[in-house]
Amino acid sequence: MATLERPVLRYRRNQRIVHAVLATSFLLLLLTGMMLLWGPASRFAGGGTSRLVHRIAALGYMSVPIGYLLADRAGAIELVRESFRYDRDDIAWFKHMYRYALGRTREMPPQGRLNAGQKLHHAFVIVVSVGVVGTGLTLWFLKSSLGPDWLAFTTLMHDLCMLGLTLFLVGHLYFTYVYKALSGMTTGYVDAVEARLEHAKWVEELAASPQPAHATDPAHAITKTNKTTTTTYRKGKKQ
Amino acid sequence: MAVQPGPNGRVKLNITRRSFLKAGATAGTLAALGRPTGSLAQKRPGAEIPWYRTGTIETTYNNCDMCPWRCGVLVHTVDGVVRKIEGNPADPKSRGMLCARGQGGVSFVYDPDRLQSPMIRTGERGDGQFREVTWEEALDYSAAKILAIRDTYGPESLAIFGHTSGDFWFTDYFAQAFGTPNAAKPSSSLCLSPREEAFKLMTGLAVGGHEPVDWDGLQCLTLIGSHIGEDARNTVMQDFSNAWARGARVVVVDPRFSSVAAKADYWLPIKPGTDTALLLAWANVLIDEDLYDAGYVADWVAGFDDYAGHVSELTPEWAEAITEIPAETIRTTARVMAENRPRSAIMPGRHVTWYGTDTQRMRAVYAINALLGAYGRQGGMYFNKSAYLEAYPHPPFAVAGSSGGCSAEPGEESDELPLGPSGKARADGARTSFLRGATAMQELIDPMISGEPYPIKGLVTYGVNLFNSIPNVPRTVEAVKELDFFLAVDVLPMEHIAWADVVFPEATFVERYDELWAVPYKTPFISMREPAIEPLYDTRPGWWMARELGIRVGLDNYFQWETAEEYLDKRLLSVGSSLEKMRAQNGVIVQSGKPYLEDFGEASPFTTTSARIELYSEDLAQAGLDPMPVYEPTEEPPAGFYRLLYGRHPVHTFAKTQNTPLLSDLYPENELWLNQRRADEEGVTSGDRVWLENQDGARSGPIKVKATQRIRPDAVFMVHGFGQQSAGLSRADGKGASDTKLQTRYKLDPISGGAGMRVNFVKLVKEV
Amino acid sequence: MAMAFLLDLGRCIGCQACSAACKTGNELAAGTQFIRLIEQTRGEFPDLSGGFTNHRCYHCADAACVNVCPTGALYKEDGLTRTSRDICSGCGYCVEACPFGVPEMVDGLSSKCDGCADTVRAGGEPWCVVTCPSNALEFGEREEIVKEARERVTAMRARYPKARVYGEDEAGGLGVVMVLPDDPDVLDLPVDPAPGALINTWTGIVQPATLALTAGATVAAGVMGVIARRNHMLELKALEEGEEA
Repeated sequence: MATLERPVLRYRRNQRIVHAVLATSFLLLLLTGMMLLWGPASRFAGGGTSRLVHRIAALGYMSVPIGYLLADRAGAIELVRESFRYDRDDIAWFKHMYRYALGRTREMPPQGRLNAGQKLHHAFVIVVSVGVVGTGLTLWFLKSSLGPDWLAFTTLMHDLCMLGLTLFLVGHLYFTYVYKALSGMTTGYVDAVEARLEHAKWVEELAASPQPAHATDPAHAITKTNKTTTTTYRKGKKQ
Repeated sequence: MAVQPGPNGRVKLNITRRSFLKAGATAGTLAALGRPTGSLAQKRPGAEIPWYRTGTIETTYNNCDMCPWRCGVLVHTVDGVVRKIEGNPADPKSRGMLCARGQGGVSFVYDPDRLQSPMIRTGERGDGQFREVTWEEALDYSAAKILAIRDTYGPESLAIFGHTSGDFWFTDYFAQAFGTPNAAKPSSSLCLSPREEAFKLMTGLAVGGHEPVDWDGLQCLTLIGSHIGEDARNTVMQDFSNAWARGARVVVVDPRFSSVAAKADYWLPIKPGTDTALLLAWANVLIDEDLYDAGYVADWVAGFDDYAGHVSELTPEWAEAITEIPAETIRTTARVMAENRPRSAIMPGRHVTWYGTDTQRMRAVYAINALLGAYGRQGGMYFNKSAYLEAYPHPPFAVAGSSGGCSAEPGEESDELPLGPSGKARADGARTSFLRGATAMQELIDPMISGEPYPIKGLVTYGVNLFNSIPNVPRTVEAVKELDFFLAVDVLPMEHIAWADVVFPEATFVERYDELWAVPYKTPFISMREPAIEPLYDTRPGWWMARELGIRVGLDNYFQWETAEEYLDKRLLSVGSSLEKMRAQNGVIVQSGKPYLEDFGEASPFTTTSARIELYSEDLAQAGLDPMPVYEPTEEPPAGFYRLLYGRHPVHTFAKTQNTPLLSDLYPENELWLNQRRADEEGVTSGDRVWLENQDGARSGPIKVKATQRIRPDAVFMVHGFGQQSAGLSRADGKGASDTKLQTRYKLDPISGGAGMRVNFVKLVKEV
Repeated sequence: MAMAFLLDLGRCIGCQACSAACKTGNELAAGTQFIRLIEQTRGEFPDLSGGFTNHRCYHCADAACVNVCPTGALYKEDGLTRTSRDICSGCGYCVEACPFGVPEMVDGLSSKCDGCADTVRAGGEPWCVVTCPSNALEFGEREEIVKEARERVTAMRARYPKARVYGEDEAGGLGVVMVLPDDPDVLDLPVDPAPGALINTWTGIVQPATLALTAGATVAAGVMGVIARRNHMLELKALEEGEEA
């Protein structure tokens, strides 16, 4: 383990760019959309500039899956696949998620490069984005042919989708803060200790391979589950 | 400047702008005044600061010039810009309300297409090439031309056509002082003459500008072709609405299901041109069924027995075959009219020059009203009266006026026509081609071409849209080419402006003082017009132009006043008032009238020989004309053609307002009302554009089809005043079709000289 | 105090003075009208009936446009539906939601009659009412207006037996109480112009809930984040100490 004391490369440049586009466009969408919910803020929506921004950001948001596929096809596909595949450790992780949420990783089952929560986050974002993009495009292009009831339904669904995504965003930022994970998306590297704590299976894998497996084939690196890994921390803590 | 006749002979005005540096101090001041900041059209709805909050509102008194009705208005200005015109609550006509056109007054004033400077023609007539000149030059030049005509041919050879509310200065005052009997108003022979002559023949009285229907107690109203609501005279709409809501019966005779027909209890979709038959049949029913007011007839009607005999065979069954109105409907409506007598009347209407038989039709109208006992009875027809007001003292006129118009007094119909200074009477054929009445404008066109009975070599138009009001436009164009001199006074570059030798740009009604308005009414009143703002650009009021021109042609004695205020105060002195006092009493002086029979005591209000309403006319009999109205069939449309009917739209006046931004916005182009079934047969639908071609091959268009159930299959209808061809009118140019240009024919009314214009037929030509 | 217009479609003769007065009084841009008159024709020549309906804001008490407006640019005041264009986002939902199809987008912003808010606040009457030559328009306290409408209907029944008041209760009570000569469906007016339940769910529940949940989650995450991070730091520290040991 001592060999992994230096920071670990967690997200490569292309991934970071994709994430940055996603994050920026989402925040712009959220800001320009949320403005409309609160009178004082909605003043700034006057004149329609915010709508233009909203639509440009929407283009950015919708370009993310395409961009990811172009930049890193295997990674993109794997991300989707991984988001919907959960093993027993993941289930166990969810069972004790409240501990993780309270900053106590040592009690958690060992996780791969993505922990179960991250996978669920990805899955949620993928599914709900389809909803938010669908309703958004409807409002953009078909607004005038919806009629009062379908308009209300569509906006209602759009808002609910965004509410879900926003709540997940709050959680996302929360975990980033608690686990000092921001560097993963800025420099690409995370603290080795943190990595070891939160993604034990992944770290072991990295250690096992002379050349970091994820550097050549990140998909394999993170999907190989090592069933022999012990659950030391958990047992230890439980006693 | 290159000559640029546009498509369809459209003419562009190419004006060499005069530098304001050369224009002198006045022009400089006016130029500085300029257009209002924040042009009205550019303002966004819901502007944060509404106009009435942007500064101090100043209010001036005026009467509206957006139609001839002249409602009293309040003109609100903010920081020297007119922002809103409202009805003057003290005015007997507007009563604080205003129609769409009146509301459009502001937009009319600030129409960027307005004529801005005096101009003298530099190219050929019709080319529209002008140079801007100073007023001095324009006036001197015009005076020289007018004097040359006077010296060569006599003052009678100058024709003056005037319309709109300043027409007094040129058509009445200047014309009579100068000595031309050939001053004419379209409001006479192209509009009211048959109505006025019929009434004078029967009662000796004038109908007057404001039809004297006694609305307050009216219980049954009958309209023959009058389309209240589309004809948006403010007071009439108010009065009609109140009478209708009170439950007054309404009978509407119209080939078209007009706005008011939709309010009617009985709509009679009459075959066009057959109204007289209906009126005679109504008289038949009233007399045959003893429904008429026998007491009134005994006291006030002469020639009843003749009339009863005349209509005895003219039964509803006879009329049904002619009018296509079921005999039973004719009987029912006659009974409804009679049940409500004497609070029952047929409104005389305004534009009645339809078929050349119009004086007789109007006599048949008045005969019904007489049988109903309506004249001088409450709720029937009141006797109107003009306000007492002395004229400004002036030397005797060189010739008596005969232009008529909607504000005209009845006047004496002398046996001999008044002669001008060189011994010539009117050149319009009065007494030869027609019997009597005001000067017939359209009959002055031929003398310009033929020189018979004597040449008319000069023409002054004041506010007359020459090519969009007088039928047979090709003849008018030819006549204008023959003139020695053509001066056009107008606010906008109307089509005929391109043909003028000199153009005087006039200040609009909110930029000028004007003659006092004293129209005959139930309660006579005087209303005033004062400027709300200085004239924009280098424009001037009509009175100023007439005076300056008058002084230059040697009429100084007639123009002894220096300012309009001086003139007006002098006149108002005769009623113990002044401009100042008028302002203090809300801009209106109201006097009392004598509306009913009882107001005359033992005397008769009727000024005929018999002092009664004469159903039988000796005058007409002597002239070899029918002494009682006879139904004369009018020519039928040839196969494939429709009779061309025309009328009004509530947001437009004549051919005057089509370019006014606000009003153009509300109704930018006219439509062709075509019976739905006929539209299906023609293979056209609403919105399709078609050209119209008349029986003589004249074309106008394209015009949008309005396929509708609301019109008979044998006629089409369009709003008058569209289809103007003047590139200077940025909004009106080429919009819709011109009814006038499709009226290559008209039928002269042998009594009044009116030009019957509903004798033209059109067919649809699909756009390729 | 609830104010209302009276619109008497029996009296209205289609002269458009209201449209023009509204345009000049409010200085509406070319192409913009808060009042449009629509000619109606029923039947076939020569058996016809018809008249005019007004296409204008009816100032619904339960106004779909207000309910749907995300910013509060449309709001109710004195029974009328006012507009604040400065906070309009131009989303255009009001255009779609209105059962009468009244609001329009002008310069990217919602545009409709606001009952001449300025002049009325100053004690005046709306421009259209001031000018109407056929007395088809009145303005006043809603109670009075409803009373007047009923009286007019009673009088009108002699001529039109099916005459009725419209807008007394429709859409929670319209701010334009109409005197109709016939049934509303005959006059192309919606029989029941109430806004759908979905719109109310959206603006009444989902929108405030969204704001509240988001704000609540953010605050909770903030507070909890501090605790959790401390926990985690302690955990790390313990780990370090353990390793060192």
